[in-house]
Order: sequence, then structure tokens, then C-alpha cells
Amino acid sequence: MKTLEKIDLYKLHKEEYAAARKPALVELPPASYLAISGQGAPGGESFTASIGALYGMAFTIKMRRKFAGQRDYAVCKLEAQWWSDSAACFTELPKDQWQWKLLIRTPEFITRADLDEAAAALRKRGKGAGVERVQWETLTEGTCVQALHVGPYDREGETVALMQAFARERQLQFHGRHHEIYLSDPRRVPAEKLKTILRQPVRAAGG
Amino acid sequence: MRTVTLQDYKRRVLRVLVHIQQHLDEVLALDHLAGLACFSPYHFHRIFKGMVGETLKEHIRRLRLERAATQLKLTRRQVTYIALDAGYQSHEAFTRSFRALFGRSPSAYRSAKRNPPWPEAASGVHFAAGKPAANFIAAQPRNKPMEVKIKPMPPLRVAFMRHLGPYSTVGAVWDRFLPVLGKEGVLGGDSMLLGICHDDPEATPPEKLRYDACVTVEESFVPDGEIGVQIIAGGEYAMTTHFGPYDKLGETYSQLLGQWLPRSGRELRAAPCFEVYLNDPEGTAPEDLLTDIYAPLA
Repeated sequence: MKTLEKIDLYKLHKEEYAAARKPALVELPPASYLAISGQGAPGGESFTASIGALYGMAFTIKMRRKFAGQRDYAVCKLEAQWWSDSAACFTELPKDQWQWKLLIRTPEFITRADLDEAAAALRKRGKGAGVERVQWETLTEGTCVQALHVGPYDREGETVALMQAFARERQLQFHGRHHEIYLSDPRRVPAEKLKTILRQPVRAAGG
Repeated sequence: MRTVTLQDYKRRVLRVLVHIQQHLDEVLALDHLAGLACFSPYHFHRIFKGMVGETLKEHIRRLRLERAATQLKLTRRQVTYIALDAGYQSHEAFTRSFRALFGRSPSAYRSAKRNPPWPEAASGVHFAAGKPAANFIAAQPRNKPMEVKIKPMPPLRVAFMRHLGPYSTVGAVWDRFLPVLGKEGVLGGDSMLLGICHDDPEATPPEKLRYDACVTVEESFVPDGEIGVQIIAGGEYAMTTHFGPYDKLGETYSQLLGQWLPRSGRELRAAPCFEVYLNDPEGTAPEDLLTDIYAPLA
């Protein structure tokens, strides 16, 4: 029997991950994610623990399905949405007030039951910390401005400014949460070469 | 206590180089050669490769062919016999190896007017009848010194599945191993994925190379069927990070054990090295892979 090729969501949705330094508009159909939310500085205790819980779930779900002979897929890279409830400019807020939702894209066929079974397996091993906070959800971002940011995370403001100017020229305004996709591994890549896709949903200005 | 120096390492490797030159007609077994140099067979092949710049097997083959070249020049012995002396069963196989090293056939070599040059060897060691090497050039660390940390490690309890076969095919055992562990929830938390290569690919036939795919587990994990449990001994380890594809790991091992170690003042314990995989090779480009290599220190 010929086994089906392993699913690679990046290859499958190539156009959604295409990004150049120059901002561009992309149209995003609804997409499924494993998600965990929290608040605090990136790299802080809660942030790091949440990444652990999210990856633990992502790999446990994948391996349970693979063991059962269901279709295999590669676990996607980490993504995150960032926002705050304050009216102040995000980058000027103290980092402990930053809100985030960490995301790993998953194939559509993952179900609520997959999550529950994986969480139960992890808990049985004493590795259940935070797994109940991992949700399965669909993001419908629609029309977005997207650009590739190359450089340290704390200089994303420069690329966001380009995206804002790009949106204004087209009578569009930012609407919804800033979303980023981490293409580079900061353990390997020097800060000035880190590649991150920045994605910002937009709508018609004044709407 | 006197610390072990680069000179000590060189002296020990030189002992092996001299022995090889004096016993080119004999079977030169890795274990025996390692013993001569007081190295654990676990590490000897990597120390040798790292210091001499070629593997033990390559070195022995080159020395035998260089001796054959000398015989071609200085004697009228038939090529077939010279080939046999060099360990080749057929004229063809000998000619092929000879040409690969000297760039010409044995007969062209014999009839050359001037003495053709020796093949290049970073160590500077060549065959010389009755005059084995008195010294050799130990490989220098590259321009950028290797970053190595000395890390005290606790004993690691790991579940493992053994792979028998060429190291290039170990992906297959991970493919079977991870789903079995993953479905049980073992891959959550701070579990680490490790690999242990038990054998020297130079000295062991590919189908007999042993590799253990390991995942750290808690006390409560019970071995079952193909999955065993072993303890990786705690203690001090020299750790460096390999950047890039898994098929290039050997180069970093050679640098660590053949260039860093002889200059470190330390010796290795008679236990295998292990490697810790820091990313998911399914979702990571080969050039982006990170692997920590741990060498056990005495």
C-alpha cells in the first residue's frame, strides 16, 4: 500500500506565507490552530511554560494520530497574536501588560476529541501543566497586510510603520490583532537576521 | 595531578601511526590500536580522525598504497603481487584505488621519468621503508575556535529503541518510536530527544552499526517490547552545538574530540558520546537543525 505523503501546511498554503520586506495584501481563508493565551513579557515564566504546553499538545496529538495510522503531517512553526486592552501604544506599554495568544497551525481534521485525549495522556504522565488551556480554534483574518520583518523582534515597529503607510495609501485601516509567524530560530540565527512574517488584518478606512 | 597535554595526545597517536607503518601486512584492528594509545575504543576513531585529518581506514589504505608505489619504483616485482601485498585481491581493484590516490595507473607510475609526488596528507605522515614517522602535524582548530562548555549532567533515564544499520537510516527507528511514546504523553513537558551511536562506522559493517533513539522518561515509565530503558551516566561532559544537517555531525565530533579535547587538559571516560536533538527535523530545514553533542569526561 502506498502511504499518503505527509502533509506540509506551508507547502499546501504557500500563498498565505509568501512575504517580502515590501508590504502586500493577502486574502486569508479561515485556518485552524492550537492556541494558548496569556499575558506577560515574551521569554517570561508564563510565556515559556505556555510554549511547553502548546508543543507538548501539538506533538502528542500528531503522534497519537500517526500511531493510529491516520494521515501524518509536520508540526508547524510557532506563531503569535499580540495585543493589549489599553489604548496606549502597544510598544510603549510595560511588557508585563502584553497579551498574547501562541499558535501552531494544524490540519483541519484535528478534532476536539484529539485535544481531550492528548491532554489526558499528558496528565497521566504528570506532564499536564497548562494543557487544559490549549484550545483548538479557527482564525478568520480575511484581508491582511503582510510583510517580512528581518531583524530583532524589538525593531518590528519599523516594519509595522511601513505596513501602516501601505494600508493608508489604500484607504485601509488596521483592524484586529497583530499576528506574527516566526520563521527563524533565535537559538541559531543572530538577531539582525531573524525573519518574521508580520500580518495585520485590515478593513476599509472609516468603516 | 598532572594534566594531560596536547603533547601527550600526540605521543599516543604517534604510537599508533608507528605501529601501523611497522605492521602494514597485518590485520590492524581498531580495538588493538586504541589500546596501544590508551584510548577507549568508543572515542579512538574520532580522536584519530580529528587529529590526523583522515580516518584510520583511509590512513592505513594510503600507507599501503604508498608502500606499493615505492615497490613499483624500486623493484621489478609484478603488479599483481604488489597488489596482493597492499591487501587487494584483484589487479583491477588495486588499479582503481591506486589511480584514485596517485592520479595515474600503477604501470604509468612505474614508468614515470621523475618520481611522482606523494598524495597530500594533512598529517605529513608518509610511508618510508624502515623509517616510521617520528612526528606528525596535528590538525589545528579552524580560525574560529569551537565553543565548548563543560556541563555537569545528572544521570538521564531514557526509553530507547535500538536501530541496527547505517547511521544514515536512523530516521526509520524514530518514525516507529515517537508515535508509540507520543501516544502515551511522554513527549510533553521537558522531555529530551537523544541519540547514542555505539559503533565506529569505519570499523563496523553498516548492517551491524548500533544506534539508540532515546527519550528521557520518568521513573514510572515501564519498558515494553522493543522499547527498553537505560540510564545515561551522570558526570561532567564536554558539550558543543552542531549547526546544520545530521549527515555532517561526524565533522563536529571530529573537531570536538580531535582538536578541542587534546588541547583541553582532559581525558574521556569509556562511555559513548550522545547527541541531543533541539528541533523537529520534520518542520526544520536541514541547515537550520541544532544538535548538542556531549562527550563524557573522565
